[in-house]
Amino acid sequence: MLQVQNIEKYYGSKNNVTCALNRVSFDVEAKEFLAIMGASGSGKTTLLNCISTIDSISAGKILLDGVNIADLSEEELAGFRRKRLGFVFQDFNLLDTLTIEENIGLALSLNHTNPKTVQNLVQDVAQKLGITDILSRFPYQVSGGQKQRAACARAMVAGQSLLLADEPTGALDSKASKNLLEIMSAMNQDMGATIIMVTHDAYSASYAKRVLFLKDGRVFNELLRGERGRPVFYHEILDVLAALGGDVSDVI
Amino acid sequence: MTLSKLSLRNAKRQAGDYLVYFVTVVMAAGLLYSFNGLAFSQEIQELSEKMDTLPIIIVLASIAVVCVFGWLVSYATGFMLSRRSRELGTYILIGLTNQQVARLFFLENLSVGGAALALGLVLGGFLYQFLRAILFAMFGLPYHFSLAFSVPAAGLTLFYFALIYLHALRKSRKRIQRMKIYDLIYFEKQNEGMIIQKGNSRRLVFAVSLVLGMAGTVLLMLGELMTGIIGSGCLIAALFGYFLSFASGVPAFFDKYPAQKYRGQNLLIFRTLSAKLSTMGIIMAIISMIFTATIITEGSGLMFNGLFRGRSAENACFDLYFAIEGEDQDPSPYLDYIAEYIPVEQSVLYQVYLTDSPTVRDYIESQTVYYYYNYDQDPILRWSDYAALRSIAGYPTVEPEPGRYLIHCMTYLEEPLRNYDQPITLGSITLSPGSVCTERLSQSFGVANGRGYILVVPDEAVDGLAVHHLAYAAKTSQPVPAAQYDALTDIAATEYNKQENPANYALVSTKANEDAQVAVQTAIFVFPLFYLALALTMTAATILTIQQLSETERYRRQFVLLRKLGMARREMAQALSRQFTVYYVMPAVPPVLIAAPIIFHLTRVPEPGVMVGMSSPLVIVAISLGLFFLIYSIYILLAYTSLKRNVLPQ
Repeated sequence: MLQVQNIEKYYGSKNNVTCALNRVSFDVEAKEFLAIMGASGSGKTTLLNCISTIDSISAGKILLDGVNIADLSEEELAGFRRKRLGFVFQDFNLLDTLTIEENIGLALSLNHTNPKTVQNLVQDVAQKLGITDILSRFPYQVSGGQKQRAACARAMVAGQSLLLADEPTGALDSKASKNLLEIMSAMNQDMGATIIMVTHDAYSASYAKRVLFLKDGRVFNELLRGERGRPVFYHEILDVLAALGGDVSDVI
Repeated sequence: MTLSKLSLRNAKRQAGDYLVYFVTVVMAAGLLYSFNGLAFSQEIQELSEKMDTLPIIIVLASIAVVCVFGWLVSYATGFMLSRRSRELGTYILIGLTNQQVARLFFLENLSVGGAALALGLVLGGFLYQFLRAILFAMFGLPYHFSLAFSVPAAGLTLFYFALIYLHALRKSRKRIQRMKIYDLIYFEKQNEGMIIQKGNSRRLVFAVSLVLGMAGTVLLMLGELMTGIIGSGCLIAALFGYFLSFASGVPAFFDKYPAQKYRGQNLLIFRTLSAKLSTMGIIMAIISMIFTATIITEGSGLMFNGLFRGRSAENACFDLYFAIEGEDQDPSPYLDYIAEYIPVEQSVLYQVYLTDSPTVRDYIESQTVYYYYNYDQDPILRWSDYAALRSIAGYPTVEPEPGRYLIHCMTYLEEPLRNYDQPITLGSITLSPGSVCTERLSQSFGVANGRGYILVVPDEAVDGLAVHHLAYAAKTSQPVPAAQYDALTDIAATEYNKQENPANYALVSTKANEDAQVAVQTAIFVFPLFYLALALTMTAATILTIQQLSETERYRRQFVLLRKLGMARREMAQALSRQFTVYYVMPAVPPVLIAAPIIFHLTRVPEPGVMVGMSSPLVIVAISLGLFFLIYSIYILLAYTSLKRNVLPQ
């Protein structure tokens, strides 16, 4: 579904260039749940931003279903984001002026989807994510966990096939984190969503099917969960983090 | 939800979040409409034929005001765009194109502008009535409240608003279209950064800016065109230098004197200030420039107001006055006309004589540099004529003082003349100094009751003295209408042209004409100056306030933390008010130091004796500063109460 081919990303001016991503390559299959881990400054958020078209790459290619996203016009990019991509941020990024229901349905309604259809789709996704009872509330009236579930609902409501999550549990307590991760697993398994999640938390990463480790802008290691149970996978992730050397305290 | 519904909802929130800005835009619409109302009003233009220049003056002033408000709207729109960049980024993230976001932003700003315009037109209706009432009072006409809507005034206001908003939104549209989604999502705050880094350069810039500030003020006070231009340039450079070096100087000062840093609330107050200044040093300099312009504009308005009123009050002490220069003049053409058309209650026809030598004038010139003379000798008035003039002007009777002469002078000469102790000799009569009176007696021009002063002597003492001019003063039953004043000036012109070698000048003045002139001059010069000054103050104060209120959340977090660190609420309130004071006083200090001496100088330029009482230089400086601080303090109070309510823990 997604092919990342030798991408590079440089920041700064000619006297002070920082290499954020250095020839990173990997593929993501449809319906996969991939976690990207690494210490602060390893390039994981930059990688997610490049895939999500929030940021541009300096070299290489990102192909989604065989289409190079760098070749898309602004109009096509907007359509691509609208139909294919869903985003979940650490700080939710919900609009304060809209209710939870309106936040979820906003993208659909702005694109002139039939109002009845919007309502049905919102109700449907809200039911799946267990937030039906808070639909009429404003973001400031609900908890962090509920906000993040609303963000997930917004990311999936239009039937987007690729969910990109940047530290989705970063602002949540452990109970809300667990709840959200279980929902994301269900979105992946039951609704067939492809998920790429950036995290520095080994517990969150253990919900994924595959974990990619970044160090200094390069892919350092890769772990596949396979048939192992989540607790076992969690310990394996911790082992790899220990192998990253000296950075364990940064990433746990 | 459609794009327009979302725009409307955002517009409502925007108006709430930036209430001070919204109120200022409403006021702007109100001001523009009310002045346009004056420009288009037939009734106002019919107050005097000289009012026909009012529309063009108002349009010119409005162009300046539109530029000022245009800058405010453009700045505020850009500021809001920066503050909402993450939200706008989210729209793009969920699939909107940059054009759609630009359209959304355009629509919501247009809604805010439209609502402000609608409310402003209502407010403007009342403001127009207020201006109309002032004008009617100045023309001495009865005022009746009548709320009317002027379509052309509203149309022109709409046109100005369209210009203001389309300019601001065109800029925002370009900016949004150029913006990358990454910049929007991760835009926190675009700081100016420390412009002057090195300590030595900073000190040098600070010192140079102070010198430039002083030099600029002195150059402006010289009153020449070229020195004025150079002076303005110096002041602009001084303000920029001052604010840019000051922002960089606070951290350096603390580094040098660490003990000062931890004294009282210094750390909190000055770190907050330097953080703010380092992000808005340039805007602070611009605001300071605007404040300087505001105070000078207000001072100029008051100066013109004082000048017009002062000149008029001196000449308007008689309902009707005419004078013809020279000996043996024939007043009959004037008197015949007056007898036929103007009902007179009391009048006097008299002559102003001259002594042989200008003894008193020489004394005055030795005492003050401000005396301009028209006579080669001292002017003399007979006691009986003087008594009649006082009666006509409505002043209390003065008892004759045998063997003495009385001096009647303008107030600015009172002090030196009270100290004058020399006798005068007229023919065989010697008179010693007597009383000094200072009521207005038409003493500010050549064929008047002296220039600044006149000596009043017993009737018999004028025998054999040369006559300077013949004069006539009268109290009329009704104010003399403009048509009759014009007829009398026509007679003066005809008589003047009849002379073989025209030399003898004649003058006609009426109280009604003087009052009308003041009203016209005030409407044409003073109103537009205050209009501009108000627009300038509101704009600068609004920018300071939206900058301050946009920090509400940061302040709130700061005080929550300070409370956890053990700071009492009373101390927090104290720190907040000090931060506020320093923040608002900073941009107002240089303008006061620059503008006060300039206004003081301006008010001393007109001829002596005019700028007295409430129009004296110091009073005008005080009123200009008072007016400025009155409007400024409304904004400060609004911002302070809002911030105090929202940031201090209960």
